[in-house]
Amino acid sequence: MIKLKTLHLLNKPPEHSRQALCLSAVGPEDGLLLIENGVLAVTQPPQIAAERWFALGPDLEARGLTGLISEDQVLSFEGMVELTASAENVISW
Amino acid sequence: MSTLIVIDQPPYGSWEGREALDMAFSLAAFDQPVSLLFCGAGVNWLRQGQDAARVQQKSVERNLAAAPIFGVEALLADGQACLRYGLAATDLIEQASITDFGPELTGRFDHVAFAG
Repeated sequence: MIKLKTLHLLNKPPEHSRQALCLSAVGPEDGLLLIENGVLAVTQPPQIAAERWFALGPDLEARGLTGLISEDQVLSFEGMVELTASAENVISW
Repeated sequence: MSTLIVIDQPPYGSWEGREALDMAFSLAAFDQPVSLLFCGAGVNWLRQGQDAARVQQKSVERNLAAAPIFGVEALLADGQACLRYGLAATDLIEQASITDFGPELTGRFDHVAFAG
């Protein structure tokens, strides 16, 4: 699993002002995990290296978005826990 | 007296949309003409292929597919929002149709109410 300085957990949809704020705060050593309504961002993919951003599988499935993102970027609940534990710190947006 | 209920919030993240849907179904049950318009992130309600089992919810897609049976006159999706969310007409549930949100549309209803 990739080593992250800060993991940004984003649950706000693209039209929420906090999504833009979050995306502008992701540094080069950071990672981004889209959860809940945040997964709608896969329809307008963030300009972040693919190995540094992920989306939660169950939330993608709920919204019919599974095919819009590479399988390598889809995390299970267990994967989310692992990624969170591997990051030095976490910001929940 | 006709009513247009507008849902501009995405599905699953909050309950406001579901409440609006219940309101629409209730109006329809009492034979009041009602249509639903999805705009902004709300258009994601109409995407085909939703499976919410792993987030412990029921798929709203199946709810909406039944709306015409319960007397909801139209499921409308704002075209601009569909573009933004990568939704072509063929990606939407078949009961939905794409329209443009604006005075021409809202003028056809006696009441326009927003969810949430």
